[in-house]
Amino acid sequence: MSGTADREGLDRKRVPARILIGKAGLDGHDRGAKYVAHVLRDAGYEVIYTGIRRSPEQIADTAIQEDVAVVGLSILSGAHKILFKRVIDLLHERGAGDILVVAGGTIPSCDVPYLKELGVAAVLTPGASSKSIVETLDALLKQRQGAA
Amino acid sequence: MTGDVRQFVEEAGHETAGRIRAAARLLSLAENEPERIPELFAGMAEWPEPRMVVGLTGQPGSGKSVLTDRLIAGFRARHPDRRVGVIAVDASSPYTGGALLGDRVRMMRHATDPMVFIRSAASRGHVGGLMLGIRGMVRIMGLAGCDVVLVETVGVGQSEVEVAEVADLVLVILAPGQGDGIQLLKCGLLEAGDIFVVNKADREGADRLASLLLATLHLTGDGRRHDHPAEVLTVSALKGRGVAELIDLLEKRCAQERDRWRERRSLAVEEEIRLAVLEEARRQILHALGNDDAAAEQVRRILRGEATVTGLVGRLLDTVAREHGAGSERS
Repeated sequence: MSGTADREGLDRKRVPARILIGKAGLDGHDRGAKYVAHVLRDAGYEVIYTGIRRSPEQIADTAIQEDVAVVGLSILSGAHKILFKRVIDLLHERGAGDILVVAGGTIPSCDVPYLKELGVAAVLTPGASSKSIVETLDALLKQRQGAA
Repeated sequence: MTGDVRQFVEEAGHETAGRIRAAARLLSLAENEPERIPELFAGMAEWPEPRMVVGLTGQPGSGKSVLTDRLIAGFRARHPDRRVGVIAVDASSPYTGGALLGDRVRMMRHATDPMVFIRSAASRGHVGGLMLGIRGMVRIMGLAGCDVVLVETVGVGQSEVEVAEVADLVLVILAPGQGDGIQLLKCGLLEAGDIFVVNKADREGADRLASLLLATLHLTGDGRRHDHPAEVLTVSALKGRGVAELIDLLEKRCAQERDRWRERRSLAVEEEIRLAVLEEARRQILHALGNDDAAAEQVRRILRGEATVTGLVGRLLDTVAREHGAGSERS
């Protein structure tokens, strides 16, 4: 193992946070999701990438099996209200309500309060910089650790 | 937290709604806190064990994940009431510590099958093609009722053969177009295999690779166990060809060798504890070496001939012993 990894990577974040990145529903535009996965990977996260067109059930079951801290879903289809509600409901049903859910994609600002009320921890829309994405997640995880 | 471990073990060991969730938490524990592995292992002798642990290894892009997906489907069809577990390892970045775990994408059709439990893991700087804690993770999959556990390594080259110590049977996956006969003579991966799968048989060159491989392996006549000749199968995971034959072969070997596997598995658990000790020692020594500046100065002193490597190691060990107040325990 290289010294660089010891000092800057593996030892600083001795246990990297695990995050699921995927796309739910009938929506194959995965450029954004892949970009976010790449950004988080480079920020030292372990990203479990699920690919496109996943059902809320697939997302919830995967999140549980993988024991992730965060589920990040990119949705560009307009079905975000229904899909996020379903994913959050399923996680609660399965005793995994402590997993944070973060929304990304083309989400109109008028829908943000509804999503927040559902329990979506953060909404990141087009134009969010890589820096702001990482900062948002770092802050959420810190908060989650504090609450645990 | 010890209480938590016991509770998770209890839940993971019974077919309840929270079984997989509890097992998933235990897997994180085995993966994240190697120093707690002995605690986790305390009651392990009582745990149910998987009937068969199959390792899949081979170069990046040789088709390990697609074959894993087909094996899951095959085992599920043969034994509808039995659970299949998968541990799929991908590489961590040596620069950032991050990882993109993408093996699962090929297996998503099994995501909602309650009898399939898939876990992705990052290698976290551990060389050997797997990661620390893998042996414990296999046992936790057994606790969670997995009959067969498939362990998929990172895409490996020549020297990552740790899977041979973890799995009962090692499948080495090869694909045409990855090198000539000389590559097959080189040491490492090919010595670790029990069954060689020439994948992508739908492509040109697969038959030639299979015969080349057979000729090379049978030149000396020994597989990894020296008592069983290595076998070569031609498969197209993509088209589903040859997968049933592969599962037949795995079942046959399992029936023949199961008792011997059991013996070897107990050695694997001991090895895991040894590795946990080494990892903790590495961490403490790294800490004793100090921050960047202090560590650099130590190295410079060796360069100037004012200290020796052995001398420095001795001093670091003394520091570790002092810091942990365990001087009397050292022997």
